[in-house]
Amino acid sequence: MAVERAPGGTSLIDVLDRVLDKGIVIDAWVRVSLVGIDLITVEARIVVASIDTYLKYSEAVGSVAPISRPSPVAELPSSQVLSAENASLRAELAASRRRGRRRSTEG
Amino acid sequence: MAKSVKKPGKGGRTSKAAPTATRKAETARRAGGTSEETSRRKLERVRVPSTSARRDDSTEGRYVYCVIRSNEPLSFGPLGLGPEPSEVHTVHHRDIAAVVSKTPIVVQDPTRENVLRHQQVNETVMQKHTVIPMSFGTVFKTNDDIIELLRSAYDAFSDVLSKMQGKFEFGLKVLWDRDHIVREIEEDDEDIRRLKSEISSQKGSTYFARMQYGRLIDAALQSRSERYVAEIFDALRSVSVASRSNKPIGDKMIMNAAFLVSRQMEQAFDARVKEIGQQYDKLTFKYTGPWPPYNFVNIRLKLERAH
Repeated sequence: MAVERAPGGTSLIDVLDRVLDKGIVIDAWVRVSLVGIDLITVEARIVVASIDTYLKYSEAVGSVAPISRPSPVAELPSSQVLSAENASLRAELAASRRRGRRRSTEG
Repeated sequence: MAKSVKKPGKGGRTSKAAPTATRKAETARRAGGTSEETSRRKLERVRVPSTSARRDDSTEGRYVYCVIRSNEPLSFGPLGLGPEPSEVHTVHHRDIAAVVSKTPIVVQDPTRENVLRHQQVNETVMQKHTVIPMSFGTVFKTNDDIIELLRSAYDAFSDVLSKMQGKFEFGLKVLWDRDHIVREIEEDDEDIRRLKSEISSQKGSTYFARMQYGRLIDAALQSRSERYVAEIFDALRSVSVASRSNKPIGDKMIMNAAFLVSRQMEQAFDARVKEIGQQYDKLTFKYTGPWPPYNFVNIRLKLERAH
């Protein structure tokens, strides 16, 4: 199909998908009770609870089914680690098969 | 001074702020006010301590749309969210600024109009500036509070603004016609085809055959969707900086992704998406943007009671 690009603000669902809980978020508790706090500068202070920027192209997204909240890239073993592990497992398997075959021919 | 945590993927870290009194003075000073302005601000503070006295002050809140880098006071026109469109302008701390408009101090409901207004302001600002978008519905009482926000999270904002400079987000949703794909699978897969004819020709119970058929179809759909998604991500990898995969919505959607694309690569990305569209003529693509980098920035802030 011919794909046309639509500007950001044209679909309410797409906007809602983003603006409700992404970007800079101040705790929901705060957002509601902000009204009751007369002066944040006096009664409370703002702290950075966490910050993530997802700049690295995740190796994992291409190979797994879409999931709701991909875990941070840092926590996933890299594909190199996985393929190394895979290779060593294959080698082990092949070795044990060979042993098995030898035993059956010997026996 | 609150410090940002620069490594992505790490949990939150907080640090103690300077004693409140010093900070307050500093904030007032940094606000760029003359001593006269500062004292006026103090007067205002004294004026509004109780709820009953706040009634005529109800237009004094500030709705925050995003954070940008700028030294100059800026104005973006009467685009503000609220009962009457108010001027969208900036509140500054050092070289960063919050884009705000005056609004009543109420919790804004995410109505269609409000949400689109929030987005419209972000889109307008984004034309000339790199933005870190604020999530919907954040209202501060005074400019000082906003300056305090910028001051205490300065490192985080500054760092993220540098990282996002000259980059935009694009959305790509991919949908398929499930029935059509099922027919395709039935044509391609001999086992499934045989099972299906077995079910339609057999007399008596076909329970197990139907179960088996369902399992095979599900598995085939799953692997086909994964293959498409992986291929599409692969095709866009070289023309984007990063990607995020969100949960697909509904059973027709197989991919719900966002891509971070640098300005220089925008045309290449655009062309690649269109190529993909022609290549997968049975899939439907919903391609949107440019967006502020909502899916690539996650800054959580909280208020703590100062002691």
